[in-house]
Amino acid sequence: MNEELSRLMDGDLPDEEVDSVLGECRRPGALATWACYQVIGDTLRGAPGAMPRFSQRFARALAAEPTVLAPRRRQHPVSTWAWAAAASIAAVSIVGWTALSLTESPGTAIAKARDVHLVTPASVRRSLPQEYVLVHQEYSPATAIQGVSPYLRAVSAPIGDGRP
Amino acid sequence: MRAPAAALLGLLAALAVARPACAEDASAWLARAAQAARSLTYAGTIVFQHGGRVETSRLVHLNDNGVEYEKLVNLDGPAREVIRSEGEVRCYYPDAKIVRVEPRTFRNVFPSLSPQQQQALAQFYEFRKAEAGRVAGLEAQAYVFEPKDGLRYGHKFWADRATGLLLKARLLNERQEVVEQFAFTDIAIGAKVDREAVKPTWSATPPDWQLRQGSAGDPVPHDTGWVVAKLPPGFSKIMEGFRTLRGKREPVAHLVFSDGLVAVSVFVEPIAAVPGQQAGAVRQGGLNVYTLKLDDHLVTALGEAPAVTVRQIAQSVSRR
Repeated sequence: MNEELSRLMDGDLPDEEVDSVLGECRRPGALATWACYQVIGDTLRGAPGAMPRFSQRFARALAAEPTVLAPRRRQHPVSTWAWAAAASIAAVSIVGWTALSLTESPGTAIAKARDVHLVTPASVRRSLPQEYVLVHQEYSPATAIQGVSPYLRAVSAPIGDGRP
Repeated sequence: MRAPAAALLGLLAALAVARPACAEDASAWLARAAQAARSLTYAGTIVFQHGGRVETSRLVHLNDNGVEYEKLVNLDGPAREVIRSEGEVRCYYPDAKIVRVEPRTFRNVFPSLSPQQQQALAQFYEFRKAEAGRVAGLEAQAYVFEPKDGLRYGHKFWADRATGLLLKARLLNERQEVVEQFAFTDIAIGAKVDREAVKPTWSATPPDWQLRQGSAGDPVPHDTGWVVAKLPPGFSKIMEGFRTLRGKREPVAHLVFSDGLVAVSVFVEPIAAVPGQQAGAVRQGGLNVYTLKLDDHLVTALGEAPAVTVRQIAQSVSRR
């Protein structure tokens, strides 16, 4: 388990294992291990050192923060697919945040983090490839029985930003 | 009383040969629902929920002696209007003064399932009749396709008891959370709809609007030279070919895989044709997209399946 925690911290954990490891974080002791690894990491990187009762104070401060997990959807997202360095950092911090906040509110943080769908650590695409989506839809039996849904997706703003 | 008789026959058939009968039931039910969506005339308000978003649209569907006409207008955000008539789809974007015309038929015809797909449907989903209830003020019957593994979503459909038209459709993940939902909130089935009601608000192509021709029709079936080495169980190839897409100079390889209920598409194109485009994952409701670079090509897999399934397909694409 400790090894998994370490890999999670380093961003080396495969997506499919993230949930189970985060689940394990609820076990007594796991969080202390996580905090310990963070401090070790900070020390190795020469970051300002371990402060006494850091995790408790951090958890308290965090609890007082407004919960804004999802990055705000941009009004006019770029339609090209781009490496989003900032977003991937956000992804990592969401995962970290989730783990740290488990003792505060188990469950909800994970659910929110999943909704954001930034748990893929490597990169984030900003919009759906509209041309692909339109030609794909007609092959899905479940979509075909709804008849209208290819168009619904087409007029829906998030698909290629609903642009022509 | 045809329905109970049919149900009894179905039950007897199911008792005789459990699995194949179930497969036929499921695919026959899907075909009936698709047929109802095409053949009936109806008008209603439809709500599309995905993630935290709710979008409302007005839909009018007319079957005029076997010819379908449809008008879809979104009610939130910038106005969008989709008009479908006789093999052509026109999308109106009034704020941008653009009309986009898709010459393809966009057959929202239910694809007839191959025996392989029917078998996958039975093997990887449990199809069953669920509870009766009301949707959009009508008596509805719910049906469930419950996945037997984690590689596909659960599907729940509510059909109008009188006509079989789908009134509500829901995608569920493995924790039974709603990933996406379409639902009529009000609907009039069989009401009189005249041709005026399915005409665009504007003229076919208003004079000061820009006309954009969409991608040309169906792909030519062709061996693309690309394979998916590690297909998730239950998925089989239903189409392979090249297609020309709007804004792309070179034809794009398009392969489609289906488990009988959903489809996952794979698109492969030279990376030079899509400058600046990079790998990544994105999702809208039940639709997952995964893109990666494969040498000098860009591979994109997308479909109404969980992210893990779409990613596995994208990652196992290779040259034959």
